Amino acid sequence: MSNPDKKALRAAKKAEKARIKEEKYYLASQWQLMARKLGKHQLARLSLVILGFLYIVALFGDFLAPYNLTEYDANSKDLPPTAIHFMYEGEYIGPYVFKSEWGTLKMSVAEMSKAKKEAEARGETFSTRQIITDETTPLKLHWFVHGSSYKILGLFESDLHLFGIEGGKIFLFGSDNLGRDLFSRIILGSQVSLTIPFAGTLISFVLGLLIGSVSGYFGGTVDNVIQRIIEVLNSLPSLPLWMALSAAIPAGIPPVQMYLLITVILSLIGWTGLARVVRGKFMSLKNEDYVLAARLAGVSDMKIIMKHMVPGFMSYLIVSLTLGIPSMIIGETSMSFLGLGIQAPATSWGVLLKEAQNVTNIVSHPWCLIPLFFVVLTVLAFNFLGDGMRDAADPYK
Amino acid sequence: MSEKTEPIIRVNDLHVSIKMDEGTLTPVRGVSFEIKPGETLGLVGESGCGKSLTSKAILGINDKKCHSGGEILFQGDDGKVIDLLKLDPQGKPIRAIRGKQISMIFQEPMVAFSPMYTIGNQINECTRLHITKDKKESKAITLEMMKKVGIANAEKRYDQFPHEFSGGMLQRALIAMALVCKPRLLIADEPTTALDVTIQAQILELMQQLQKELGMAILFITHDLGTVAKMCDRVAVMYLGRIVETGTAREIYKNPQHPYTRGLMGSVHKIGSRKLDRLFSIEGTVPLALNLRPGCGFYDRCDVRVEGVCDKAEPETCCIEGTHCAACVHCRKGGAEK
Amino acid sequence: MSEKAEKNLILQVQHISKRFTSKGVCVRAVTDVSFDVRKGETIGIVGESGCGKTTLGRCIVRAINASEGEVKYTARDGVTYDFLKLDKKEMKKVRKEIQMVFQDPYSSLDPRMTVIDIIAEPLKANFPKMPKAEIEQKVIEIAKKVGLNTTYLKRYPHAFSGGQRQRIGTARALILNPQVIVCDEAVSALDVSIQAQIINLLKDLQKELQLTYIFISHDLSVVEHISDKVGVMYLGRLVEFGETEKLFSRPCHPYTEALLSAVPIADPDIQNERIPLQGEIPNPANPPSGCYFHERCKYCQEKCKHDVPDLREVDGRMVACHFADEMHLRGFDYDQA
Repeated sequence: MSNPDKKALRAAKKAEKARIKEEKYYLASQWQLMARKLGKHQLARLSLVILGFLYIVALFGDFLAPYNLTEYDANSKDLPPTAIHFMYEGEYIGPYVFKSEWGTLKMSVAEMSKAKKEAEARGETFSTRQIITDETTPLKLHWFVHGSSYKILGLFESDLHLFGIEGGKIFLFGSDNLGRDLFSRIILGSQVSLTIPFAGTLISFVLGLLIGSVSGYFGGTVDNVIQRIIEVLNSLPSLPLWMALSAAIPAGIPPVQMYLLITVILSLIGWTGLARVVRGKFMSLKNEDYVLAARLAGVSDMKIIMKHMVPGFMSYLIVSLTLGIPSMIIGETSMSFLGLGIQAPATSWGVLLKEAQNVTNIVSHPWCLIPLFFVVLTVLAFNFLGDGMRDAADPYK
Repeated sequence: MSEKTEPIIRVNDLHVSIKMDEGTLTPVRGVSFEIKPGETLGLVGESGCGKSLTSKAILGINDKKCHSGGEILFQGDDGKVIDLLKLDPQGKPIRAIRGKQISMIFQEPMVAFSPMYTIGNQINECTRLHITKDKKESKAITLEMMKKVGIANAEKRYDQFPHEFSGGMLQRALIAMALVCKPRLLIADEPTTALDVTIQAQILELMQQLQKELGMAILFITHDLGTVAKMCDRVAVMYLGRIVETGTAREIYKNPQHPYTRGLMGSVHKIGSRKLDRLFSIEGTVPLALNLRPGCGFYDRCDVRVEGVCDKAEPETCCIEGTHCAACVHCRKGGAEK
Repeated sequence: MSEKAEKNLILQVQHISKRFTSKGVCVRAVTDVSFDVRKGETIGIVGESGCGKTTLGRCIVRAINASEGEVKYTARDGVTYDFLKLDKKEMKKVRKEIQMVFQDPYSSLDPRMTVIDIIAEPLKANFPKMPKAEIEQKVIEIAKKVGLNTTYLKRYPHAFSGGQRQRIGTARALILNPQVIVCDEAVSALDVSIQAQIINLLKDLQKELQLTYIFISHDLSVVEHISDKVGVMYLGRLVEFGETEKLFSRPCHPYTEALLSAVPIADPDIQNERIPLQGEIPNPANPPSGCYFHERCKYCQEKCKHDVPDLREVDGRMVACHFADEMHLRGFDYDQA
């Protein structure tokens, strides 16, 4: 085959490829077009990966966390994150840690007074109770160890954990003032902090969709009344409202019910924004020519709503849902931070942050702020994702 | 208009391209024309033919994504000829030309004004920027211009906001704003498309009258063959980023040479003439100027295309007589062949 | 009027008025408009923006409810109904015979439905029991008729250009086999060469299917080309209604005369002298007394300021002007052009 022939063949192949791509575009439905557009948004894609990771971690939290919520150890309170080593005496032996816990120093009186003087010279107080690290015996990190038992996805009994050590404890993110592992508590807390917003927005979604469409479809007095109610709800300051509502929750109810009630409280306030979006879209879609065309063709009202209007604003709804989740996360965190939400032994990121309320605590145990990082990460990821989805929501522009 | 007068603006081989994910969009592909003082050139074409981008390239107000090539030689009022494309689009020299020597009228008068300021204030802005810093003097100039464009009760109208004006009045105000600095070149981008016929006629007459008074050149961009016939001395027909035919209005209307021009003429029913049973229509639609094939851009829709010739190379521009030129292989000198 | 002509009447628009009230201000968008339409005719309705032509069209198809008046429609079965007062059950029967083609080819098609679904929607709504294969066959048939490439029917509207979308819109209007189609600025949003394609298509379809059009447009040359009769509207009122050529060559209402004189002709040799209109279109919420046009009319007399002129027959057409038979107004000279 001569060169120009090859060139022509290549060009033809390229043209064919372009044609197929074009054809795919022409046959793409709204959701496919949205996915295409979203895929071009770098930050949104990254956020999606991060969120996916966080949710998978939450889903398999009991397996990934080395300890459960109730395990504590008086000798290991307020420990800094455990260092992980690989080389022991110049030899690679795989990841290991040294046992580290609170203990009393064994020393003579003379040594003690000398150490005391040195400490005072540095402006510190000396105590014989110190964190003692035993650097003589490396404790190897083991994979798939047996520990406390839990139920996989709430169904199957298991006691397998991803990693753990024998003969000591590992605190990847340090421990709290009761000697509980912060890493485990963050993972197990995410099960609450990441799902309450979802459950909450789901309730908000239903409420917003229903009330919003009623408002938009009927218009007139109904619309007026609903809009005023929304305005009243929006004008209530949220903190006192939360406090009032959680005061209504009877004390001492089990954590699961508490969890549900908090969701309901959050969503009872959260539906207003969504209802407004639905109503606005309803009103603008009502005047679209294609809706009129369907009416003239004799299509029934119910069918017009279901086939033309709901798909028309569904994408916008999902966007405002996504953008609404962060405020729900923050809401739950704030409530728990104030002690109005989840109670111990159950935990959430807000409960964990409660320990960061004390300034001296932050100074001496800065790792208690680690949950904050996860809150910020999740909220940012949801916001970026929502941003990308907003750009993609109307692929026909 | 003598033959020797230097053109105010001469556009040479203007290209505009936009880089996109799918390839390079080339909405303007080698446009050349010139306009002399006091002359009106009509740039005619359908949507997507690149006529608006051409006008924006002259003012340097195209989007940042657009890359322009070629030359736009503009003769300023100091007699010096400068290439507008070589100027920094944000720089001082082009800003001194924009609004002062070249100004523009837009299609939608409603969105061309800010609703936050009075009409007088907005017209005055131009005067204060380019003519005089003196407040009283500039207001006097503004009021004079408003009267000239037929805004009755100009003193009262000066302090009114855009929403208090009707569409026709707003278009007059827009013209006043464009002309208050007595520009050498006026670019009118579909100035009457959004207006009703009776108001359109008033505005067109106003533009003609002001042109006579001020002696400016007008680049009149439109898709409406009726207004072109009324307004323009010369016409350039654009298709897919190229000028396919130029000539005086009479040459174009009486003896269209390019098949696209012929199609365009045939597509419009000439009002007040006997009804034909059918309109002539050009098949297909204007293609997107993306990854174009070689050859004549009109090839797919042409009814006189020659296979093996028209789809191989861009047809050369051939002058039939005088200023009447067309870019089609069928055109001969003298215009014998139809 | 002869017996035979009476028989061919398909639509009698009688005294249609439409008022909109918002914030206590009543705007009369359409006031007392009446005209007759015969089968197979094309009626052009022209006027400037805000003259109520679109509202009138929507009242006729009952997209909005008229405040007053009747639209008497003679259906295929020979029965004459008052289209605006039909109850739900009768409406379902007659509705499909009066359809509409919209101005904006972009907003008139639901972007979330494939073309085949868009065209089939009216069928599915009116004949819920029709088998799928039959629906598909009917859609393909109609798509061929309007010049759509039938291999593209599975595509979504975003794959089509404005002209093709307008063909899809036309196919949707035609699939129920209507008698009357109201075209609301059906070609105004299209490019000139595409306009010609759609106009030719509408004309071909009319011949083939014996359609009756009400063609609403602000473009006088398009209206002149397509219409048998033309109605001129001003400020919600019909000021003149008659055969196209008669009306364009010798208008009887001063507004028609001014309107015609303002149209630029696509011929540099013909420069028609414009008859200037004084002032601007008055606010429809506060129309002038007497003849709505009197403030801008150069032939205005004392009577015009007080008495509203009735639509009456003058010189073989309907005119709403007190002095229609005394004036000789200028139109287009057909023999010269």
